[in-house]
Amino acid sequence: MIVAGIDVGSSTSKAVILEDQKIISYSIVPTGAESAGSAQKAMNETLQKTARLSLADIRWIVATGYGRVIVDFANETVTELSCHARGAHWLLPSIRTVLDMGGQDCKAIRCDNKGKLLNFVMNDKCAAGTGRFLEVMARVMELPLEDIGELSLQAKEEIRINSTCAVFGKSEVASLIRLGREKQDILSGLHTAISNRVFTLLRKVGVEPDFTITGGIAKNIGVVRRLEEKLGLKAILTVEPQIVGALGAALFARDRVSNQ
Amino acid sequence: MVTSTSARKSLQTTLEVPALRRSYYAQTQEDSKKGKKVAWCSNNIPSEILDAMDVTAVFLENYATVIASKRLASGFCAAGEKVGFSQDVCGYARMLMGYILARDEAPEAPYGGLAEPDFLLVNSYSCDSRMGWFSAMSRVLNLPLHVHDAPHQPDGASDSAANAEYTERELRSLVTFLEEQTGTKFEPDKLRKRLALSHQTSDIMFEVNELRKAVPCPMGSADMFTAVWPAMYLAGTKECEDFYNKLLAEIKERIAKGIGVVPEEKFRLMWSGIPFWYDMRLINYVEDFGGVVAIEGFYRSRERRPPVQDEDPIKDMALRSTRYRTFPSSIIASIDDVLDAVKEYKIDGVVLSFNPSCRLAYVSQTELQKSLEDRGIPTLGLECDMADERTYSEAQVKTRLDAFIERLLART
Repeated sequence: MIVAGIDVGSSTSKAVILEDQKIISYSIVPTGAESAGSAQKAMNETLQKTARLSLADIRWIVATGYGRVIVDFANETVTELSCHARGAHWLLPSIRTVLDMGGQDCKAIRCDNKGKLLNFVMNDKCAAGTGRFLEVMARVMELPLEDIGELSLQAKEEIRINSTCAVFGKSEVASLIRLGREKQDILSGLHTAISNRVFTLLRKVGVEPDFTITGGIAKNIGVVRRLEEKLGLKAILTVEPQIVGALGAALFARDRVSNQ
Repeated sequence: MVTSTSARKSLQTTLEVPALRRSYYAQTQEDSKKGKKVAWCSNNIPSEILDAMDVTAVFLENYATVIASKRLASGFCAAGEKVGFSQDVCGYARMLMGYILARDEAPEAPYGGLAEPDFLLVNSYSCDSRMGWFSAMSRVLNLPLHVHDAPHQPDGASDSAANAEYTERELRSLVTFLEEQTGTKFEPDKLRKRLALSHQTSDIMFEVNELRKAVPCPMGSADMFTAVWPAMYLAGTKECEDFYNKLLAEIKERIAKGIGVVPEEKFRLMWSGIPFWYDMRLINYVEDFGGVVAIEGFYRSRERRPPVQDEDPIKDMALRSTRYRTFPSSIIASIDDVLDAVKEYKIDGVVLSFNPSCRLAYVSQTELQKSLEDRGIPTLGLECDMADERTYSEAQVKTRLDAFIERLLART
């Protein structure tokens, strides 16, 4: 049985194709301004990677993420909250708490021993302290986004960053650069600020081990370490944290076909 | 362009409210033209007294919800902000200050605007922002303001004699103020008649809410948020009583025939807090998933009104007010009340609106949400202003609501 999940997030669109118990292909493409087009692109890329499948071979497609409703080739939609719980639990069955840190949102999610959504808390409406915030800060510091995690681990001094608002944070960082502060110290301060913010979400939902982080920020080792320190708990990470939502969607698609 | 965002109704009777509301506003304009005195009032000003003294009451918080439901709030809020009111100030107050001080810059006012006021009446009960708002209006409009002070009723002391005496003094002082403003003498008989009608209405409302415990729920919040209007603003009138009698009959008929808001209920919700007046369709949204918002945390009679306490209608009002509350006396009391309702109405989850510009509602909601979750009752908090739709993101709200529904459905 071949099914697919597609997760159209604010920054990237992800697609996963499942064949029986196995992920046979996935891809991650930037969402850009045109979400519907990016969903199609992610799906096409994922199909191409299999070198044998076309859209007609997919029995059922579940769309998730903010753009879930505009995916016209999907058969149904499920929210990213349920999908992250499901996907993370499938990869790591001991997982009970998922922190999804994406481009626009942070979500603290609790699931049961079957990967079912038990509870969730999301950040409020603005993108403060999310992936978008880090993207803006990396740009201000003229650093590639993928490098900032490692770099922050070399910090010698902790700098306190007051704002996780992208607008205020940007000017705060710009003034720290002007003062000649080291980039790794500033980054470390930024990661602390983000961690403090998502820590309150985790505390609200209640953290039960095991714990994992999904979404793009899970690839930032600086944020992961900070959170682990605050929680006093090691995060068990998946190999590709960005596709966990799309994987969860594919698992819901598989359920649907099995129940038919 | 005004787009209608009103909720889809299940009951025929509720569909009559917009016409009642329109004619009420038209009547206030007429009254003003005929030289009747017009009072701009806050909620909880006893309209029966005004009515008995031939004063036309215009309730500003209600007008604010009219503006918001016609999706004009952002224009009025922006006008209010332009004249100096912060975004943190109550959305209702901000809109009305915009209406008063920067009407040229605001959109066209619904119903042709408000009848011009002769004086202002504010009740200190339940909200503190009103006091500042009404005193600001009194200053800029240069009109007399009367503050009707309602004592706080601590838990366990709701029928204290001191409270009743204080309330009686306050009511008499309101009457004196109205006599001075209108030059008319207060006639207790007129008030007694209004009170009798208004108490009957209140009893019917109570019964309506009791009947909503039925499964399937005959009337959801999409109807109730509209159907509370006559009780709040036409209390003590014949048309109000007729409306509720008709409503009660329709609900009884639906129950007898087993007609619910949704044909097959999968889950029942409570809405706690002020709804988002600019998108009342959100309440219908859960119906597509087999859910119904069966009861509200706010705007609900929690108990039957006590019988007549005294021949003197003012004294009677005072005595009854200490034995009957429309708002719980404390956060603890409101939590107990919600927990009772969760059981009685067989509620599976509670949606709490966090209205940032309503301090009163916001603070208690936080504690309520925690108490519900501690008891294993699923909750969803949505933070959007009740009036200022610039704080609203439909996609974000729907994602949260969708996930909440998935959470509830996963339990079964």
